[in-house]
Amino acid sequence: MTTKPGNEVSRFDPEPIPRRDFLGLAAIATTAVTFLFSLFGMLKLPKAAVSASPAKKFNVTLPDALAAGEAYVPPGRNVAVFRDADGVFAISTVCTHLGCIVKTSKEGFDCPCHGSGFAADGTVRKGPAPKPLPWIKVTKSGSAYVVDEENTVPAGTKV
Amino acid sequence: MASVQQSALSEFWDNLRGVPRRLYEVTFRNGVPKTDRTRSTFIFGNVFLHLHSVRTHLWSLRWSTTAGLGIITTAAFLITVITGVLLMFYYKPYTDVAYQSIKDIHFVVPTGRFIRNIHRWAANVMVVAVILHMARAFYTAAYRKPREFNWLIGWGLLVVTLALSFTGYLLPWDQLAYWAITIGANIAQSPREITDAIGITAWFDIGGLQRELLLGSDKVGEEALIRFYLLHVMILPIAICMLMAVHFWRIRKDGGLARPADADERVASERAQSYPVFTEQPEKTYQLAALVKGKTSAVGKGPENTLPSMPHLFYAELAVLMLTVLICLALAFVSDAPLKELANPLVPENPAKAPWYFLGLQEIVSFSAFTGGIGIPMLCIIGLGLIPFLDRETAGTGEWFGGPGGWKLVRWSILFGFSSSILVEAFAIRFGWLREWFPSVPQLVITLINPGTVLTGIFAVYSIWLVRRYNSTRAGALGLFTCFLCGFIVLTVIGTYFRGPNWDFYWSPSQWQAH
Amino acid sequence: MNKNKYLLLISSAGVLLLLVIAAVSENFFKEWHGIQASAKNPEGAIESRLRQVVNPNLRTADRCVTCHVGMAPGEQIASSLKVAAAHKPVFHSPSEMGCTVCHGGQGLATTRDDAHGTVAFWTEPMLPAKYAYAGCGTCHTPLGVPTSGVLANARKSFERLDCYACHRVDGRGGTIRVGGDVTGMEGPDLSATGIKGYNAEWYVGHVAKIASNEAWKNAFREIPDHERAALKVFLDTRMGASRLVEAKAEFNTLGCAGCHKVGNFGGDAGVDLSLSGFKDPNQVSFANVPGEHKLENWIKQHFRSPVSTVSGSQMPALGLKEDQIDLLTMYVLSLRRRTLPDVYLPKDRVRAMRFGAREFVADGEGIYAAVCTACHGASGGGTRFPGLVPNPSITNPDFLELASDEFIAQTIIKGRSGRPMLAWGERENGLSADEVAALVAYIRKLGGGVQAKPDPLPRIWAKGDTTSGGRLYTANCAGCHGALGEGRDGPAIGNKPFLDIVSDTYLTETISRGRRGTTMQGFATGSVIRRSLTPSEIEAIVVYLRSIGTK
Repeated sequence: MTTKPGNEVSRFDPEPIPRRDFLGLAAIATTAVTFLFSLFGMLKLPKAAVSASPAKKFNVTLPDALAAGEAYVPPGRNVAVFRDADGVFAISTVCTHLGCIVKTSKEGFDCPCHGSGFAADGTVRKGPAPKPLPWIKVTKSGSAYVVDEENTVPAGTKV
Repeated sequence: MASVQQSALSEFWDNLRGVPRRLYEVTFRNGVPKTDRTRSTFIFGNVFLHLHSVRTHLWSLRWSTTAGLGIITTAAFLITVITGVLLMFYYKPYTDVAYQSIKDIHFVVPTGRFIRNIHRWAANVMVVAVILHMARAFYTAAYRKPREFNWLIGWGLLVVTLALSFTGYLLPWDQLAYWAITIGANIAQSPREITDAIGITAWFDIGGLQRELLLGSDKVGEEALIRFYLLHVMILPIAICMLMAVHFWRIRKDGGLARPADADERVASERAQSYPVFTEQPEKTYQLAALVKGKTSAVGKGPENTLPSMPHLFYAELAVLMLTVLICLALAFVSDAPLKELANPLVPENPAKAPWYFLGLQEIVSFSAFTGGIGIPMLCIIGLGLIPFLDRETAGTGEWFGGPGGWKLVRWSILFGFSSSILVEAFAIRFGWLREWFPSVPQLVITLINPGTVLTGIFAVYSIWLVRRYNSTRAGALGLFTCFLCGFIVLTVIGTYFRGPNWDFYWSPSQWQAH
Repeated sequence: MNKNKYLLLISSAGVLLLLVIAAVSENFFKEWHGIQASAKNPEGAIESRLRQVVNPNLRTADRCVTCHVGMAPGEQIASSLKVAAAHKPVFHSPSEMGCTVCHGGQGLATTRDDAHGTVAFWTEPMLPAKYAYAGCGTCHTPLGVPTSGVLANARKSFERLDCYACHRVDGRGGTIRVGGDVTGMEGPDLSATGIKGYNAEWYVGHVAKIASNEAWKNAFREIPDHERAALKVFLDTRMGASRLVEAKAEFNTLGCAGCHKVGNFGGDAGVDLSLSGFKDPNQVSFANVPGEHKLENWIKQHFRSPVSTVSGSQMPALGLKEDQIDLLTMYVLSLRRRTLPDVYLPKDRVRAMRFGAREFVADGEGIYAAVCTACHGASGGGTRFPGLVPNPSITNPDFLELASDEFIAQTIIKGRSGRPMLAWGERENGLSADEVAALVAYIRKLGGGVQAKPDPLPRIWAKGDTTSGGRLYTANCAGCHGALGEGRDGPAIGNKPFLDIVSDTYLTETISRGRRGTTMQGFATGSVIRRSLTPSEIEAIVVYLRSIGTK
């Protein structure tokens, strides 16, 4: 009284599985879809909708004594703001290689992590950095300037 | 050489092409569960399902046997685990930011409020279901031999479930949480009432020790929060998982769910449509079966009224699981988890209420901290644990309200339990208690004589009367358990709905005075 | 088995349905989705997402700008949607400081009622628009605020001299340009001269302009000294929140500090008001408060009828007018000083906290108004509130003639223990010797300039028999002053601090001559119901008084 492998029909089941078990399939399928759907919902949760850091757009009042070519880094920001005869511009200080914060130097910017070097206009001078440092959007607002870290502008744009 | 290389390389290519197929084969090792063999391997070839036996008795598949309460509890637990882990992404267990992080979950975390609502409702469903599950096991006398040990495991699960729910209560760090935990911690301190009364608190302060272990400080604060967090997300979940594993495994080892001795005859009508399974001459037996006690291996026994667990039990369990999810989601839709103002140690909630399942105890605590906080709970817990060892009869196992007296006895006990608890409470609310009549009465007297102990006494006398009347321990147990359940319900309802500021009696919360 | 399959199918379908509903409402139908969908910037539709102002120093993360999207950092909304409009220009940029630090409410919330804090269980609802400037009190505390009379006078001067013609103050005036050109302002905006300062020599400059500029000859005239003093008060009190300054002036005029402490100055008969702007509306009773259950309504009702609003309140009903109540409500709401990080600590707050700068004008008049008025009355005539001890007149000419400056000063400094009169000179952050001297001078001025008569006798000289003195005291004085001089309708003359500083001349003269205008009769002359007392009898009473004071 045993079954043989490959038997499609169970001898021990009062409710042998019909060839097309629509009800069972529908139930299982709905359950599976429900779980998948809830999984998507749950995966959405860990992606934060708001960040805990201050807004990326902020006002900067440049010191009067800022000389041409001298960088002004607003406290707590990763942007160097410059002023020269043509106007004001800002260059990101986040290395395009792996995100270290570059330091201003005589030649421009140097990255302490992996030796990338950038010229004063942000172009790559040496090292592994794949791209030049981006220029950050600056707009004039009265006597102050608004720096928008989320937006870049083509190199050479000054206001 | 070249040809050998060629063939090994082509073999590699074949293997590479075959990866998706092989992946499918090793994942779904047994194919579609259509034959008896594949159905069986579906169960015992899967680490999660193999806690079930391969075949399930027809009696166990009836809805009326368990009402699915165990699966509901398990499902609610799984829901709390999943939602709880999700909440942990954002929750910060520090007093200065805990409340803000819950606000964040409420307002800016995607689906955060919904997930928190589900978590809260699933936790409540779990508490209700675990109590009902215990009642089911008791009323069907499912704790009897050989299931005594599993009753004890279930008893532990009840305690851990309540502890999980209670520890989760503090985490939002709002007024509700803060003062509920303050009350809870003071209940833990209540043995002081006894040690104070006999004057040994200075040397033996078990109450103070319990409270300090719970809070890590002299009041609810940062230390308490981190302790409750640790208990809630780590220690207690691990404990409950281990207990659950043992609990499920014991069901199988104890021969499935308890069923009446004549279960086979009573499922005969269902059996008529099926092929009985004979196991006199199995082609293969488990060698281990010789070591196993109980009714699992049915070698040499008569016809078995069993069905393959896959798909019969599988559908039943999955259906109950989804039903539980549906209930929790629906509740989460209609009602938000509460979040009051930020905890303020200087402004107590009035009334400050413990979680609802402790409000029955808080009602007794309002007369005597020791009786309500330690005395009666210990009595209940010890009593519950002792049930399988005191009732060693056999009549009625597996039957709802099985045993001498049966449903008729339980019906009368419900009436008796409700009326006596309501009467005692009504008396205490209307006329006050000893302290109101004799203001100088020693606390020890109140500890010994208060509505809680009076009710316990009434129930005990009633139960002894039942034991003599039916000449059966089971009859007494039925009466006592029913009465305690009724008392729990009455006290909880009074504590929840009829107690207002200063723990005064109110017919409705709308009459509470603003304070 | 089919039963279970149906159950599974139905449950799963139900769960799926609920999840779909939840997902749709979560992602598309929140309140702010609708607002952001209708708000447009010059480039078109704005990105639909949660926005916030984060300031780690102030520990704020204000999501108000999710709906008030025009106030979000860097947003420019072109559509006319009111809720999404930009903030009006203010000193502190909302995109830096956030919203709740000034306006209150629940910054973390993203739904209207929760954010505005009108839901139950939120302790700090938004300040109503009417009292919006009370929010300045979170960080600032205007210093040296004059009395409301002085302030009103200053405003009148400014208006009468028509300074508004050229100068703009709080968005008003400054439209005329002398010489016919109406496009611009002639003078600078004076809204914040109290904070930013101004040229103290402005008048000289203005006068010089008359000589050099033809158009000015008709527009500007010379200003007399007292008007210039009033203008100085006006300029000093322009702190960008004129209504708040007025409110504080009202508080300083009614003498509330005599009973209530604010910050680190004031009496302690009433509750400390330092954080009363943070009062939790969930924790107060609205049983006898008409209107909505809002904190401002409760505060107003409390001013109208303290006892019916807070049972057991000792505060007398002051009979204030509605506009006074409105100002005081604003002031109370502004008492919400937060602990601030150093970088945000404003100068006024530091000066008040660390350097003892007074929040009222610390001259005799200012101190009297701020501290003494509530009990002794604006003119010093004393007050009497039902159910409370009457407060004595301190400008009675008979009193001022007898009381030496030293006596009045010592009374102010040491107070009367056990009585509402506090030791104002000995309290923490109490009045300095200079302030007390100014106060004494002001009290004399209030009393019509009556000076004390010089007293050649030593302080204690009276001689007599205690027993007979006691008998006379019981017969004549105890009815008003109490059996042990503890005070009833009359002042507590058995009070030890009083007897320690009072001279026998003061006591004998007072007993024999009485106080004109009060119930205290002169006992040296008789009346129809009692005989007159002889000087030796009066001396005996004084000796008796001294003896009970030493008990």
